[in-house]
Amino acid sequence: MTDILNVKDIHTYIGQFHILEGVSLSVREGSITVLLGRNGAGKTTTLKSILGLITPRTGSVVFKGEGIRGRRAFEIAALGIGYVPEHRAIFRDLSVMENLKIAERKKGDFDRRADMIFDLFPDLKRLSRLPGNHLSGGQQQMLAVARALVPENQLLLIDEPSQGLAPLLIEQMMEAIHRLRSSTTVLLVEQNFIMASQLGEEYYIIDDGKIVNQGQMSDLARDQELIQRYLGASISVTERAAGSEGR
Amino acid sequence: MQKLRPVLIVFVILVALFIIGWTTMGQKPFIRTTLSGLTLSALFFMVAAGLTLIFGLMDVLNFAHGAVFMIGAYAGWQFFTNPTFIFGLLPLIFAILTGLSIASPLRPRLQRLSIPEKVYNPLRFLLYIISAVLVVISLLGYDIISLAETAMVATMTASDPLMEASPQEALTGFWIRPLLLLVAGTVLSITSQLPRTPNTDDEGKTTWKGWLLSAALLLVTIVSSLTRESGAIAVLEMDANLRFVFSLLTGFLVGGGIGAAIEITLIRPLYVRPQFLVLLTLGLAFVLQEVTQVLWDPLAYQMSRPPLFSQPGKAENILTWFGQWNVTIDIFGVTFPSYRLFIVVLGVVMLIAMAIVMSKTRLGMIIRAGVQDREMVEALGINVRTVFTLVFALGVGLAALGGIGAAPFIPVEPTMGTRYQLQAFITVVLGGMGSYGGAAIGALLLGFARAFGDYLALRFSLSPAISEASTVIIMAIVLLVRPAGLFGRKE
Repeated sequence: MTDILNVKDIHTYIGQFHILEGVSLSVREGSITVLLGRNGAGKTTTLKSILGLITPRTGSVVFKGEGIRGRRAFEIAALGIGYVPEHRAIFRDLSVMENLKIAERKKGDFDRRADMIFDLFPDLKRLSRLPGNHLSGGQQQMLAVARALVPENQLLLIDEPSQGLAPLLIEQMMEAIHRLRSSTTVLLVEQNFIMASQLGEEYYIIDDGKIVNQGQMSDLARDQELIQRYLGASISVTERAAGSEGR
Repeated sequence: MQKLRPVLIVFVILVALFIIGWTTMGQKPFIRTTLSGLTLSALFFMVAAGLTLIFGLMDVLNFAHGAVFMIGAYAGWQFFTNPTFIFGLLPLIFAILTGLSIASPLRPRLQRLSIPEKVYNPLRFLLYIISAVLVVISLLGYDIISLAETAMVATMTASDPLMEASPQEALTGFWIRPLLLLVAGTVLSITSQLPRTPNTDDEGKTTWKGWLLSAALLLVTIVSSLTRESGAIAVLEMDANLRFVFSLLTGFLVGGGIGAAIEITLIRPLYVRPQFLVLLTLGLAFVLQEVTQVLWDPLAYQMSRPPLFSQPGKAENILTWFGQWNVTIDIFGVTFPSYRLFIVVLGVVMLIAMAIVMSKTRLGMIIRAGVQDREMVEALGINVRTVFTLVFALGVGLAALGGIGAAPFIPVEPTMGTRYQLQAFITVVLGGMGSYGGAAIGALLLGFARAFGDYLALRFSLSPAISEASTVIIMAIVLLVRPAGLFGRKE
C-alpha cells in the first residue's frame, strides 16, 4: 500500500525555540499510525506542522503525492485532512449540530454522513440542540472526532483523544477510532499506551523534537526497556487506569 | 436564564423610568423625549454594531469607526446631490484593483521563481518605487478637488440637480490614467508575492477560474471609464427616492470597500503587534478627517431629504403618512419629523438583519466560532483571513450606512463621527464587548439617557453637559456591578 502522508526532515520553530529538529515519518494509507512521546516532546507540534497551523522552516510535507509545506492551514485542511486537537476545541456557543455543520466543505456533507456519525456516537444525536459548553468532557471529545468526520477526509490527525476521559469513555473512543480505520487513515498522538498499542499498527516515538524509534506496534509492546526509556511515567499512570478496568 | 437576566434588569429599569416620566413629565414632553431617545439609540446602535462585531472576532478596537461613519455620510451625500466625483474616481479604483488581482492566479508560478539573494531586496525596493511613481504619474494633473466641489456647489445653489451635471475629463486625455494604475497595481501585487527562496515544493497550478475575477474587474474598469458622464447624469435623472436608496447602498459599499482596504493593507500586518492597532486606527481617523477637509473644505453641509420625507404639511398619523409623505407626523399629539422615524426603522432593520446573519447563515456561524477559536476554524478548512476582511468590511460598512442614514438630519461635516464614536464605545463597553445584542440594549440605554438628560437639563435649567455625563455615569455604574458589561463574558 502507498503512503498517504510523507514528512521528511522538518524543522519547526515556535518563536525562538527550535521545537522539531528534523522529524520524518510516513503514514500508510488505510492504517492507524501512532506517534508516542512524553509531554513536550513535540507531538502536537508535529501535527500542527503537518496541517500548516505552524509552518515548518525547512523539510517537506507530502500529502497524496503533493508537496504542501508552506501552504496555509485552511488550504491544507481542504485537501482532505481532519484535525481533532488536544483539549477538543469545541465551539462553546454553537450547538452540537452547528459544531458539525460548520465543518462542511461542500453543501450537504453533513447530511450525507450523518447516519455514519450518529451510528458511531449515538449520544450526539440526542444532544444535537444543546450548546457545546453544556456537554461533558467525554461528549465534547466525541463531538470533536465527529466534526472531523463530516467532510470527506482521507487523513485524520487525532491528538490525545483519551486525555481526561473516564476509562469507560476511553473504551468507547477506542472502539470508534477502530471502526474508522475501514474508511480513513489515522495519525494518532497518544500517551495512553494501552490505547495506542491496541489501535496502532505502526508507531513512531518522538523525543526532544527528534524521531528516536519506529517500527511495528507489536514489536514495541514487547520492548519494555524502550517503553520505560522514552515514555516513562506516562505509561505507569495509564496502566493503573487500565488496571482498574480489570484489563 | 442566566443570559436573560441582564435583559430583564434593563427592561425593568426602562419600564420604571417610563412610568416615572409619564406621570411627572406630562404626556407630550414624555412622548417627544421618548421618540428622540429612540432616534439617538438607533444612531448609536448603527455605529456600535460594527464596532462590537469587529472587536468580538478580531480583538481590534477600531478608532477609525467614527471617521468611516463620516465618510459614509459624505459618500451618500455626494451620490445623492451630484455623483460626478464618485463616477470620476470609479475607473481609477477599479483599474488598480484589477492590477492587484493579477498576482493571485499567478502565485504558484511566482513562488517557483528563483531570485539571487543579493538582488532580492534591491529588486523589491525598486519595483515598489516604480509602482509608486506610476501611481503619481497617473494622477498628475487630475483635478480631483474640482470634481469634489461639484456636490458642494449643488448643495448650496441648485434646485434642479441636472443643471449641476459637470463635465469629466475627456476620454482622450483620461484613458492613460486607468492604464497606468493597472500596471502599477500589477507590479505592486507581483512584487509582494516574490519568494525569498523558491518554493518548488508547492505544486499548485494556475487555473482559469483564478483569472475570472481579474477579467471581471477589467470589464468594470472599461465600462466605468466610458460611463463617467452618462452614469452621473443617469443617476441625477433617477427618481429622487430611488436615488436615496442607492445613496444608502453607496454609503455602505464605500464604507465596506474602505474597510476591506484598511484591513488588508494596514491592519493585517499588525495582528501580531496589537498595541499598534490602536495608534493605527486613531491615526487613520485623523487622516480621513483631513482628507475630507481638503476635498470639501471644513464646512458643514445639509443634505436634502428625499421626497418621501419632505412633502409639506403634517400627517395626522402614521397611516395617513403613507401616500402623503409629509415632512412631519403627528404622534399622540406630538409633531415629529418623519425622517427621524425612518432612522429608528433603519436601526431596527439593521438589528434584525444582523440577528439573522449571525444565527442563520454560515458566515454568522463562522463568526461565532471564530470569536472562540480562530485556529480551529482555520483547521476546518475555512480561510479565516478572508473572514476577517469580510467582517471588518461589514462592520465598517454598517457604520458608513449609519452615516448616510444620519446625513439628512445632522450636518455633514468632517468631525460628525467623533461624537457618535465616543457614544458607540460606551455602548459597546456597556453591552459587553463583542456582543451585538448587548450593543442594542446598550444603545437603547444610552439613547434614552441622552434624551431624558437633555429634557431634564432644559426643564431645570441645568448645564446640558449633564446629559452627556449621564452616559458615562451609567457606564461606570454598570461596570462596577458587571465588569464585563451587561452581556460580556467573564474572562
